[in-house]
Amino acid sequence: MSVDIYKINPEFRDIMPQEILDLEDNATWQSEGYEKRGINDLTDKKEILEEHSLCAGCPEAAALRYILAALPTPEETIIVNSTGCTSLMFPHIALHTVHSLFGNQNAVASGIKRTLAWRFPDKTKDVVVLAGDGATVDIGLDYTLQSFFRQERITTICFDNEVYANTGGQESGSTAKGQVFKMAPKGKVFDKVPMWELAVTSGVAYSVKLTASAPKKVAKVLKEAILVAREIGPTYIHLYTPCILEIGLAANEGLWEMKEQDKDRFVDFKYVSPEAEAHLKQCKKEGLY
Amino acid sequence: MAKDSIKIRMPALGGQGAVTAAHIAATAADTEGYYAVSNPFFGAEKRMAPSESYTRLGTVPIYDRGEVIYPDIVMIYHPQVITMGKSYTMPFYAGIKENGLVIINSDVDLLSDSDKKFLDSMNVKVLTRDFTKFAVDLAGTELATNMAMLGALFGALGVIGKPAIEEGIKDRFLKKYVASGGTASLDSVIEKKFKKKMDLIEKNLETASAAYDLTAEWAKEVGLEPMLETI
Amino acid sequence: MTMKNTEMEEKNWSGQTMVSTDYILFEAPRTKHFMTGSEVLKEAMKRCTVDASVSYPITPQSEAAHLIGELWAEGYVGTYFRGENEFGVMSEVAGCAMAGARTVTTTSGPGTLRAMENFPMWSGTRIPCQLILMARGINSPLTIQPDNLEVSFLLETGCMIWYAENVQELFDMSIAAFTVAEMPDVHVPIITAVDGFFVSHTRESVMLPDDNIALKRYDPYAAPLPPIDSEMPPGRFLRDPFVMKSNYISYATHASWQWEVRSAVERSVPYAKHYLEGLVHITGDEDAEIVFVACGTASHQAKEANRELTKMGIKSKVVKLRTIRPFPHKELLEATKSAKHIFVPEFNVVGWLDKEVTQSLYSKSEAKIVGRPRVAGGMSMPVEAILREVFENVDVKKGA
Repeated sequence: MSVDIYKINPEFRDIMPQEILDLEDNATWQSEGYEKRGINDLTDKKEILEEHSLCAGCPEAAALRYILAALPTPEETIIVNSTGCTSLMFPHIALHTVHSLFGNQNAVASGIKRTLAWRFPDKTKDVVVLAGDGATVDIGLDYTLQSFFRQERITTICFDNEVYANTGGQESGSTAKGQVFKMAPKGKVFDKVPMWELAVTSGVAYSVKLTASAPKKVAKVLKEAILVAREIGPTYIHLYTPCILEIGLAANEGLWEMKEQDKDRFVDFKYVSPEAEAHLKQCKKEGLY
Repeated sequence: MAKDSIKIRMPALGGQGAVTAAHIAATAADTEGYYAVSNPFFGAEKRMAPSESYTRLGTVPIYDRGEVIYPDIVMIYHPQVITMGKSYTMPFYAGIKENGLVIINSDVDLLSDSDKKFLDSMNVKVLTRDFTKFAVDLAGTELATNMAMLGALFGALGVIGKPAIEEGIKDRFLKKYVASGGTASLDSVIEKKFKKKMDLIEKNLETASAAYDLTAEWAKEVGLEPMLETI
Repeated sequence: MTMKNTEMEEKNWSGQTMVSTDYILFEAPRTKHFMTGSEVLKEAMKRCTVDASVSYPITPQSEAAHLIGELWAEGYVGTYFRGENEFGVMSEVAGCAMAGARTVTTTSGPGTLRAMENFPMWSGTRIPCQLILMARGINSPLTIQPDNLEVSFLLETGCMIWYAENVQELFDMSIAAFTVAEMPDVHVPIITAVDGFFVSHTRESVMLPDDNIALKRYDPYAAPLPPIDSEMPPGRFLRDPFVMKSNYISYATHASWQWEVRSAVERSVPYAKHYLEGLVHITGDEDAEIVFVACGTASHQAKEANRELTKMGIKSKVVKLRTIRPFPHKELLEATKSAKHIFVPEFNVVGWLDKEVTQSLYSKSEAKIVGRPRVAGGMSMPVEAILREVFENVDVKKGA
């Protein structure tokens, strides 16, 4: 039923801008028959992100496009965002999104998820959190971990650029030890916070760390995380999306940096609980991904 | 016609050094004994996204703060400010005062007929030149575009000389400077291009100087009256 | 007895018959009970078809909060859980309300301050949630005692603020609060304040309607902004580009949005007048020159003083303010027409109500305004203290 809310009143079609028409005619809404929407759609289908006002070449923008292309049911997905560079992309997303304060994204998402489960017990509505490392690991650590303790059925995605980029480049909990950033002029004193491990100890059913160097990998992980969150428990994706500005790279060097980190700080980590594993097997059998 | 204070608005794109330029302009004026205030627009900084900075110069203390809504001088650092509307005001010269000045960094004329008509009616002079070419020819890098724009500004004003500009540039690049994230990154990129800091200073000065001379010449040609009182 | 809705008797999920707010507040027959403020809040919420509530413990609202939890276990409240701290709780409440739930929560003193960042976010997001504020003192030093300094911090958050005087008022106000907050042309959060301990833990008699009736369900699709539930086209308020950029449009948008929130609070006046039966309640002598202007427990204490003064043959009047935001300027001026001496007794050190009253009556009233007695930190306000202020400020031999 919900994809109809994105449909244009036929009487207004002739005055609608092309991008809005494309959203109805050429976007890959799941209920319109696109069972396996994914990365391949990026070449010729209408994306759910219209544009972005981030720096030219920002890996966050690329990663968001992969994620939006991979959502299993975008028309039933609500994304809760937080303050930071990611929030500059959110006004351009064609879905229900929420930007609240800073650090409270998992709390707001918990309220939304529970209310939607109460109001629509027979519908599947995915609630996804997407926030930077500052929001997830520092100012929001309490609310993020507590949502895991409470077993909220939410997928939490952390866009980790290892710095507070939007405010000019200050050290965050996710910064590597020794790295010099503002507020750490002598280099960071403590280790990069292993949020993906904390997620496991805090009770998530699925936790992955990776870079955004391979679009299809990101898409697969995103699909798995959402499917597990639907039935089993909270899921967590820790994604490296470097800030090329703060680490002094050119616009076209982001991909190279991510590929380097695939072998270093962002070597693959994946935890799947036995229940989640069984559930994913079942989903694969049913052709859900 | 010269005023006791003038306001300058510099719309640019992130990464061009407009904020630095505003700072150097103010520092240079301060060296000469003028009252001067400079500040960037207040917002998130993104490469190639709109970026604006402001300088206020005067022979009297300057109390005005914030963004310059009614400028005497508007300096467009990149054609996209006009062609793609990467500007905080629409049109880019919104609020310009009578007898004002517009300096545009472009190799082609970007003004529409109605733009020209309006600016004429306000006795606003417009200088369109490829200042980036100056930068590339003299300093070997596009990043020195802001130095060329600075030279043009002072060439047009006439009351602040090259020694003051040199002081402003030296102050910015030789002293330890607290820069925002994007600015700091660009600083290190620039530094890598020049063997010695003094090379950088020299090249910047050359660029500014050439633009200064060109604009002073132009100002005479078009009959641009002095805009700022002498101190 | 007018059970107009027998023809269209609709029941909520717990089997209660859903009736109009007018019916619950003014028409349904009531029976007498004896209970505390915390207990009466459970009774009120039981009759409100509440979708969601989130709790956290802090004195003196912990009991009220856990009693709402019992309502959830009993099937009256849709979804309920304990949050991690008050900042988290208020954000969770925001999420619930954004997704279309009629939501209630409670907090006190330090908890309020901990949650502070959320309150302007609530009003800016135009969510009609209710916060029952059981006022308690603020650190430092630490006190768990009654003191309503915390209300002063909330005055400019853009939320409506009502003040309940006693257990009975807490019952009726907290029900009316949902109805007024949810009006499409209002649709802002409401804070129902009540004094901790003086009301929450004090047992007194109350008149309650039967618990087989309840408010009609909240309709999130009648809201001025669409709920976040993927059932309606997305709302554009937290995420529009012009609000994210720095330019004059975004500045003007922000400013006009905030003005609109305050206008919405003002638009609640006719509804509040109806459901509260007046923004101010006046007791005592109509033409008295000695007037007490107060809210909450201070109003109760002033009523005691009024009674004692009457026994002495001295006329006085108590003007109880029921709403603080919107502030009842017109009603206050009208009620203090006869005043020569206005006393504003309060339970906080700064006298926030005194400031509000003084600003409201400036150059409009000839009365001398005295912001006393003022007690704080848990102190009670005995009637003797009020009488002493009166005698020190008014030459009662001249006949008041």
